[in-house]
Amino acid sequence: MPEIGMPLLKISNVTKHFGPTIVLDRVTFEIPANKVIGLVGENGAGKSTLLNILSGELRQDAGKMWLRGQHYQPSNYHEACQVGVGRAFQEQALILNVPVYENLLLGQESKFLRAGLVLDRKAMLAAAKQMVHAAGIDIDVNRLTRYYDFSNRQAIEVIRACLGPVFLSKAEHPLVLLDEPTSALAKEHELAFFGLVDQVKRKGAVVFVSHRISEVLDICDLIYVLKDGQLVATVESAETNEAELHSLMVGRARASDYYHETQQDKAQQNPVLLEVKSLHAPPAYTDVSLTVRAGEILGIGGLLGSGKSALAKGIMGLEPSHSGTVRFCQHEARKPEIRRSIRQGIAYVPAERMTEGLIGQFPLAWNISMASGHDLFSNALGRWFLRKEDAVAAHHIEALSIKSGTPRVVCDRLSGGNQQKVVLSRWLCRSPKLFVFDNPTRGVDVGAKEEIYRLVRSLTRNGMGVLLITDELLELIGLSHRIIIMRSGRVAAEVPAPAEAKPSEHDLLALMLPSSNPTNQHAGH
Amino acid sequence: MLGTRSSRSVSKDSPSFRFELNRSWWLPLGVIAGLIIFFSVTSSAFATVRNLTIISAQASTLLIVCIGATFVVLMGSIDLSVGAIVLLVGAICVEVENATGIGAAIILLGALLGGLLGLVNGVIYAYGAVPSFVVTLGSLSIFNGLGLQMLQGRAITFESNALDTVAIAEWLPPMQNIALCAILVWIAGVLIAQHTRFGRYMYLIGGGENVARNSGIPVRRYKVYAFILSGLIAGFGGVLAVARLGAAGPTLGQDLLLNSLAAIVVGGTSLSGGTGGPARTLLGVLIIAILDNGLNLLGVSSYPQLVIKGTVVIAAVLISRSHISGLLIK
Repeated sequence: MPEIGMPLLKISNVTKHFGPTIVLDRVTFEIPANKVIGLVGENGAGKSTLLNILSGELRQDAGKMWLRGQHYQPSNYHEACQVGVGRAFQEQALILNVPVYENLLLGQESKFLRAGLVLDRKAMLAAAKQMVHAAGIDIDVNRLTRYYDFSNRQAIEVIRACLGPVFLSKAEHPLVLLDEPTSALAKEHELAFFGLVDQVKRKGAVVFVSHRISEVLDICDLIYVLKDGQLVATVESAETNEAELHSLMVGRARASDYYHETQQDKAQQNPVLLEVKSLHAPPAYTDVSLTVRAGEILGIGGLLGSGKSALAKGIMGLEPSHSGTVRFCQHEARKPEIRRSIRQGIAYVPAERMTEGLIGQFPLAWNISMASGHDLFSNALGRWFLRKEDAVAAHHIEALSIKSGTPRVVCDRLSGGNQQKVVLSRWLCRSPKLFVFDNPTRGVDVGAKEEIYRLVRSLTRNGMGVLLITDELLELIGLSHRIIIMRSGRVAAEVPAPAEAKPSEHDLLALMLPSSNPTNQHAGH
Repeated sequence: MLGTRSSRSVSKDSPSFRFELNRSWWLPLGVIAGLIIFFSVTSSAFATVRNLTIISAQASTLLIVCIGATFVVLMGSIDLSVGAIVLLVGAICVEVENATGIGAAIILLGALLGGLLGLVNGVIYAYGAVPSFVVTLGSLSIFNGLGLQMLQGRAITFESNALDTVAIAEWLPPMQNIALCAILVWIAGVLIAQHTRFGRYMYLIGGGENVARNSGIPVRRYKVYAFILSGLIAGFGGVLAVARLGAAGPTLGQDLLLNSLAAIVVGGTSLSGGTGGPARTLLGVLIIAILDNGLNLLGVSSYPQLVIKGTVVIAAVLISRSHISGLLIK
């Protein structure tokens, strides 16, 4: 039993870098027992990283942690579980092909070994049933997990996180970490969810991460606000409101220089480059129509799961759309297809650079020539132009000042910003008429970010169109001529953003947040 | 999780992408040198012109078949059926040759036939979205069954001066022509890998299929091409094997399943795709061929030979992997 007043968890000066980017900057706080703590912040504020460190998935670069007064440094999630820490993951961490009870007891099987060898299935079933019963949710633990829909699986995940520490690790004072637990939870489970949180709270403490600020206000006793990796505010739920929290989360001065807003030309009169008509691929996005003019940057904003990334893939023709057409320049309106899109002069920079944008083990030149193998770098007989490939790569290394770059250096050795420049070069060598960017500056250091912004500006001044999808509000506002806000896969609003009258972050956030009915928010997962 | 799972790089400047002797080549070369020295010392019959002629002829079919299969492995897939294609194409070609006597033109037929079998593999794999392991495991059995059915357990012989010339004549003595063919196929393979769009796409698909697709590379079509090429070259190898032996028998191509994969992997083409290439497969083939021949000369019976060969394959991959991770730490 911890002494009265001793915090359940205490962390001090926890710091974490990913490469040159600082994700957590000397975060210090306490989590008192018998409280529910809300952790809020924008995308990239460091919430998930912090949870990853608390649950042993990541290790901090500096700083110390204490759990119930004991030094706490789990080297993996399993170790964290052993000392009574439970976590529900944002991306469900369930195995679909096994019965529910095995998922509930995942990683804890060793507690059910008979003679150290044989799994005591009966005891496992009993324990799992006990957990489901305690949670008050009607789930058959014998059924295969895949027979339950996303919402029920979310419930299973939450039960495991909340009750595992008490039932399985026999922790008297559990610490439960919940990462966006309600984003997919059906209405009928919400009551049970509140009950669960209450159960945990009576014994230990809950850390609750969510984008739904209203929910955070309902559930939590105390709210910690993270911004750019720093803990910027600690507020009592009773003494604050949604608007105040939002302003604490964002509230950065937007330097208009940074986005070269003075160079933002008017584009209303320019010819239409891209016309998307009723593009439809439920549940990711429904009935989206939009246009991009030459020299215009059309921004698309929205919360995680609003369907904006899926829309980019749909417009490119990477993922099939159900119906609807895309018309580009003078070409006829058709169902998009990736290779045609590229031939017609559209470029696509995906959000996940390491898995979708770049092959790290290959040289820079190979990554640059990749999208032009069919025309620029080989002839009709299929002969590859190695010299031209090297020359084009060398040209772009120079033009975009890709640091420590030679055509033969493998991309793994470059920093995030320089890698992104390689992806840009791949398209720039084709002189595209339209760029589709999905989070073009994610994981990119400040200097390279600045260069990318300048490049985008100068390209649009020369008549290129840009479709900019981004989670970074300031980037969205600073760069775009017009902004489309998506919510639950639909276009919810269009906001003009001329250089002289940019909308504020709060305006946009208000449009992104689900207004009244939270149950239809999770389309696009 | 940005930047946490980045490095798979092997060495500073583009490793193994060009035909240049960088560090990752030394290991297989060293193994070859070691084997040659070992067998030269232990067996007086090893380092003779006659024996080298035999080794080169024996290794030829393996090398030819491996070149095609290397592209499939490079692309991140696997082709288990090359040995079975050799058997089926060999059997059909012997029958056709005996029936028509068309001479050297049979080589063309064999290659086309092999390409057709590869096309079947490729289409089922790429468009049916069945793992290549499963597809070629199935077709391995089908092709083998058809071939054995045709042969009815007998070895069928044939007479053709033209084929004798292609396979066992010696234009460049003491090397038999089949070895010459194998070297030409190898050179073609190396050129295709390094100087053509097809070769480059094989690397790109093996290294990052999603990235390749996002860049507009017709991934599925090129997957089919790879299997066609693999089948085509295996068919070509099948006819040459039959020509060298003067007959098609039930054991034709039987050892190619293990040997081809062993040679490709030992040579340095990773089964996960994207690294290696046909140039290096030559080294793997030499290792396997010298090992086979040397152990025979030493009088090691065929069962222990299997054990030794398996051990060498695993050891070679283990060593080359720790060699690579050593580079990573630096």
